Amino acid sequence: MENRKTIIEGRGLERYYHRGNETVKAVDGINIDIRTGEMVSVLGPSGSGKTTLVHLLSCLDVPTGGTLSVEGTAVTGLSEDELAGVRRKTMGFVFQKFYLLPTLTVAENVELPLLFLREKPDRALTLDTLRKVGLEDRANHLPNELSGGQMQRAAIARALIIKPRLLIADEPTGNLDSANSKSIFDLFRNLVRDQGISILITTHNLALGYLADRIITLQDGKVLKEERQPIK
Amino acid sequence: MRFVSMAFKNLRRRPVRSVLTIAGVALAVAVAVSLAGFNMGYRNAIERSIDRLGFQVMIMAKGCPYEAATMMLKGGTGLLYLPADTLNKVRSDPDIGSITPIFIGLAEKEASSISDSSGGAFAIFAGIEVQSYMEMKPWLEFETGRGFDGGRWFGAESEDEVVMGYESATYEQRKVGDKFIATISPQGQSKPVQKTFKIAGILKRTGTQDDGTVFLPLKTAQKLFNRPDELTILGIKMKQFSGAKLQEFESRWVSLPAVQVVSLQQVKSTLVMLVGTAQTMIAAVTIIAVIVALIGVINAILMSVYERTGEIGVMKAIGAFRGDIFQLIWLETLVICIIGAVAGTILAIAGSHLVESAIKKLINLGVQGSIVLINWQIVAGVLLGAIIVGFFAGLYPAWRAASMHPIDAIREGMD
Repeated sequence: MENRKTIIEGRGLERYYHRGNETVKAVDGINIDIRTGEMVSVLGPSGSGKTTLVHLLSCLDVPTGGTLSVEGTAVTGLSEDELAGVRRKTMGFVFQKFYLLPTLTVAENVELPLLFLREKPDRALTLDTLRKVGLEDRANHLPNELSGGQMQRAAIARALIIKPRLLIADEPTGNLDSANSKSIFDLFRNLVRDQGISILITTHNLALGYLADRIITLQDGKVLKEERQPIK
Repeated sequence: MRFVSMAFKNLRRRPVRSVLTIAGVALAVAVAVSLAGFNMGYRNAIERSIDRLGFQVMIMAKGCPYEAATMMLKGGTGLLYLPADTLNKVRSDPDIGSITPIFIGLAEKEASSISDSSGGAFAIFAGIEVQSYMEMKPWLEFETGRGFDGGRWFGAESEDEVVMGYESATYEQRKVGDKFIATISPQGQSKPVQKTFKIAGILKRTGTQDDGTVFLPLKTAQKLFNRPDELTILGIKMKQFSGAKLQEFESRWVSLPAVQVVSLQQVKSTLVMLVGTAQTMIAAVTIIAVIVALIGVINAILMSVYERTGEIGVMKAIGAFRGDIFQLIWLETLVICIIGAVAGTILAIAGSHLVESAIKKLINLGVQGSIVLINWQIVAGVLLGAIIVGFFAGLYPAWRAASMHPIDAIREGMD
C-alpha cells in the first residue's frame, strides 16, 4: 500500500472563512495523501468540513494555509485557469446533482470534457466508457429519458472519458435511493479494481462510506480518525 | 461536437424564449433593411424620375423651384407662369443645345367610368411643341396592339386632339380614336368650359410622370386655359453640362424679370436631402428598435446564464477554462443575432412589395417605379451589423458566466 504512487498530497491544509468578525475554520491543518488505486471516503456530520476538504484537494478551491501538490507538482498559488488545467489532466468529477445538459444525448454529455480538451470524440471510446457504467444501450437517449441512477452513471461516464487518475465524488448518492446508491458504490469499487484509478468520496451514508479502503472522519475541520480496511 | 453546435443546442432548451428573442431581432432587422432599402430605392427613383424629364435645366417663374420641380414629377396645383417671350430671349443662348416650352394646366375629367376617390377627377394637361419635346425625350413611343394601334402625334395647330400617357389612358379605359372630355377653367373666366378631344395616340409606359399626363399642342393649351402669353417651364438641355457652365448660363439670365434658372441636379440633391431629413427620424426609430432588441437579447442570455449556474460550475470543474465558457455563451448570443438577422432580411425582402404599396398608398412620393431597393450591399451591411451587435450584446452575459467561481456556481446550482 505504502509503495503506491501519491496523487494528492496535502500538508497543513487550512481553509478559513470570515463571517463578520468571526473566523470559521472549515478545514484546520489537515495532512492527507491520496494514492493510486485506493478508494478513500471522507465522512463526518454536516459542517465538519468534508466538502471543503474535497474542494481543496480537487483544486476547485484554494487553501488559505498549507501546501497542496498534485502528482508531485505544487499547485498552491496557481490561477483559476491553471487549476482548471491541472483538473482536466488528472481528475474526473461526480456531484450530487448530475448536471447533464438536457439538449445533449447521453453520449454527447459524456464527450463534453473532450470539447474543453480540444480532443475529437471517439465514439468507440464513448461507448466503451458507457459500457463500463452499464449504459451502452442509452447512448443516444436524452437525459430526461433516464432514471436517477442512470443519470448518475452517465455523469460518472462523463468523468471517466478523460481517463482520470482520480475520481472525485461529492455526495454522489445524495439524490439516489438505497438500491441505486449501493449500485453506484459497487461501480466505484469495480473501477478501482479494474481500472486502477483512485476515488475520493464524501458521503453522509456511513454504511456506504465504509465500503472504501480508507475512511477519514472529520469533525470541526480536523481529522477525527482515519481507518484503513484491507484492500478489497 | 463543437462549441457552435452546442450553442445551437442550448438555444433549444427554452424554445419559446429563443424564438421570441430571435423574433425581436428579426423585426428590428426587417425595419432596418426596409428603411435602408427605401432610402436607396427612393433616391434612385428620384434620380431616375428627374433624369427622365429629359432636360438638365429649367427656367420657370420665380417661386419655390422645388415645388415646381415636384409638380413636374407628380403634378399639383398652384402653378406659376412665366412670360412666353422668355423662350425667344433665351433660345439664342450659345450654351443651349435644345429647348422646349411646356405649359401645364389642370382640368377636370368628365364622363370617367371610374370614380376617383383620391381628391377629385383631375388630369394634368401638358401643352408641348412635339418636335422640341421629342428632342428632349427621344424614348417616347406610341403603344401598339389592340386599341392602341394607329397612334400619332397631333398637329401643331390641332385644337381637339390629345395624346395620352399610358396610365391616364388605361385608367380611363380609353383607346386610340376614343373621345376624352374635360372641363377647363380658363384664366379670368368664371364659367368653366367643357371640351371634347379625340385621342390621337397613347404613349408606351415610361415609368415617369408622362404616363399620367394628357398632351396637347402648346398653343391649344395656352388658348384653352386663356394664358396665351404664358408658359410653365422652359426645359433646357445644354451643349455641355457642368457647374461652371450652369453658373455662366444663370448669370446671363438672372436679370430677366420674374424668372429663375434651376438646375435639376440641385433639385435632385435638395429633394434627396429633404427626404433624408425625414428618413433620419425613421432611422432614430429603427435605432430604438435595435436597442430594444439588443436589451431583449442580453436579458434572455443573462436569464439563461443564471438558470445554468450549476452547469457552468460543473463545466469549469471538469476542465473548462474561463475562455471556453465565455466562448460558449458569446456564441449563443451571436447565433441568436445571426438567425434573427437572416430571418429579418428574408422578412424585409418578402414584405418589400407590401411596404412599397403601403408607402405609395399613404403618400404621393412623386416618383415612378420601385421605391424600395434591397440589394446585396444592404443585406451584407445588415448581417455585418447584426454580427457586431451580437458581438457586443454577448460580452456582458459571457463575462458574467466566465467569471463564476466553480464552487460558488455549483453550490448555487444545488439550491
